[in-house]
Amino acid sequence: MKRPSLLVIYAFAYLIFLYLPVMFLPLFSFNSGTIVAFPIKGWTLDWYRKLGEQDTLIQALWNSLGVGAVTALLATAMGLFAARAFVRYRFRGQAAAEGLVMLPLVIPGIIVASSMLVLFLFLGLQPSLVTVTLGHTFLALPFAVSILKSAFDDFDASLEEASYDLGCGVFETFRRVTLPVVAPGIVASILVTFTVSFDEFVLAFFLSGNQPTLPVYIWSQIRFPAKLPNVLALGSILLFASAMLLVLAKYFQRRSTTRDV
Amino acid sequence: MTEKNIIELKGVEKRYGSFLAASGIDLDLRQGEFFSLLGPSGCGKTTVLRMIAGFQEPTQGAILIDGQDMAGVPANNRPTNMVFQSYAIFPHLNVANNVAYGLRGRVPKAEIDARVTEALEMVELGGLHQRGANELSGGQRQRVALARALIMRPKVLLLDEPLSALDKKLREQMQFEMRNLQQSLGITFVMVTHDQYEAMTMSDRIGVMFDGRLEQVDTPATLYARPCNRAVASFIGEMNILPATVLEETGGMLSIEAAGFGRMRIERNVNATDRARDIIVGIRPEQLEIKADKPADYPATLKGKISNVAFYGENIHYHVAVENIDKPIAVSVPNYFHTVDFNRGDAVWLGLQVASVIDLGKERKSSQREKT
Repeated sequence: MKRPSLLVIYAFAYLIFLYLPVMFLPLFSFNSGTIVAFPIKGWTLDWYRKLGEQDTLIQALWNSLGVGAVTALLATAMGLFAARAFVRYRFRGQAAAEGLVMLPLVIPGIIVASSMLVLFLFLGLQPSLVTVTLGHTFLALPFAVSILKSAFDDFDASLEEASYDLGCGVFETFRRVTLPVVAPGIVASILVTFTVSFDEFVLAFFLSGNQPTLPVYIWSQIRFPAKLPNVLALGSILLFASAMLLVLAKYFQRRSTTRDV
Repeated sequence: MTEKNIIELKGVEKRYGSFLAASGIDLDLRQGEFFSLLGPSGCGKTTVLRMIAGFQEPTQGAILIDGQDMAGVPANNRPTNMVFQSYAIFPHLNVANNVAYGLRGRVPKAEIDARVTEALEMVELGGLHQRGANELSGGQRQRVALARALIMRPKVLLLDEPLSALDKKLREQMQFEMRNLQQSLGITFVMVTHDQYEAMTMSDRIGVMFDGRLEQVDTPATLYARPCNRAVASFIGEMNILPATVLEETGGMLSIEAAGFGRMRIERNVNATDRARDIIVGIRPEQLEIKADKPADYPATLKGKISNVAFYGENIHYHVAVENIDKPIAVSVPNYFHTVDFNRGDAVWLGLQVASVIDLGKERKSSQREKT
């Protein structure tokens, strides 16, 4: 048998370093004691059972789901047109436009959050789920654009021309050719942008006012030690759901790029 | 074929910034003919096709289809349909839905079904209705693209390098099939190709393009026998080019002094309109005779030495180096006896019938595409 090379050992060490802390979350969520420390006192599912009884938590969950859904639709719809333009056309200021769209990836969240709060207050918009959604759309747009750009990259432009040639106008072509062909990319974009919004804390903290999203609610609960195991249980569920969403998104993205178009 | 013009291009020009993709294109296409636009890549032939289809607007001039000016008419309202180079088969639709695409919502469903079946049988894909777009071979994709365009009953079918994605055997088979299809339907086909053999075997007429200009429009036989200049002569088949001087011109005949071969009287080529005293003449490789001894029955002969032999199967090509002529002269001999008669270094004689010397007019400097 071949001896594992240093590189393989390094890779495993890297992965453990990266994911071990995260693994403590589900581990302690089954701990019957309320103090998060070894040794584990005993195993229980109580924390999961009690989740359903907490009305404010459920409300926060609904807030997050709603914000995530609207954000995903807005960012993906805007990203769809931007991505098509970036791939299909060559225009003046294209590089600058693409750079600007990608900018939210690198601006510190706290800067975006505080400047958005100032802006919204200036416009007379009180912090609410609406302002959170607007902020999240801004953050999610670069994800949508980059996923959809790769979907359009593999999309033969003559497909759209063939549709015009066969008598269809711009809108009919978009509906009958463009949308179905990039559909897997659209689904991938919706899933990813939803996840971006669902997990986001800083913007939501600044912009949500008295309508907390789930991450904001969790943060507020961490101050109460008795509630902590509950939060761990919730966190474990979210962790699992997010991972599943990303796997699903990857699947759709791959389908959109490996298909022989 | 009738004398009616189905497409007329009048002084068509397409300019991209300072780049002239096509200029001064005047062309009448007759109802029911198979017309090819032939030229090297980048010569503007695809631009002309796309302007007829409506994907690009000419920057100058007019395009008329069936007598109607197409200015401002978008591709989806033109009586033309196109077979794309990539075939552009919709990947999310099966064969039947691909073919039916242009009829959906415009024609009753029962009629669509009947026309799809008819179209698929026409391109010999009968029964493949449910086959997915990604389960098709290259040849089948091409047939689907043909059926999808022809089902629209266009006045003109446009084909953009329709055979370039196929392997050689299939390409030759499809050449005959498409030619037969075109003749039985009586629809005008306009094909863009860079393959001279494809253009020669399929077309009624060919337009040869270089650097955005239409150099010559003629039947394949005329293009081969009377090309208008050196570029066309060398693009259609192989051609030996020799410099010559005109000594006298009388009644459609030229007395010339040709390099190597000496004085002869040849026919003046009406297609070669660029005239001067110093001209060039062309000789097809298969028009030359190659002999070991000086041939007696040829009016013009030349002594040389074999510099290269290429065996093609049905033909053998010899390159013969001749004193005072820069380039070796190419000679093509049919392979009757399955032997290579001469080897590299052999001294040989070339014999020539005067009738096979083609006047190509004044040598033109390699044309620079006009830029402003």
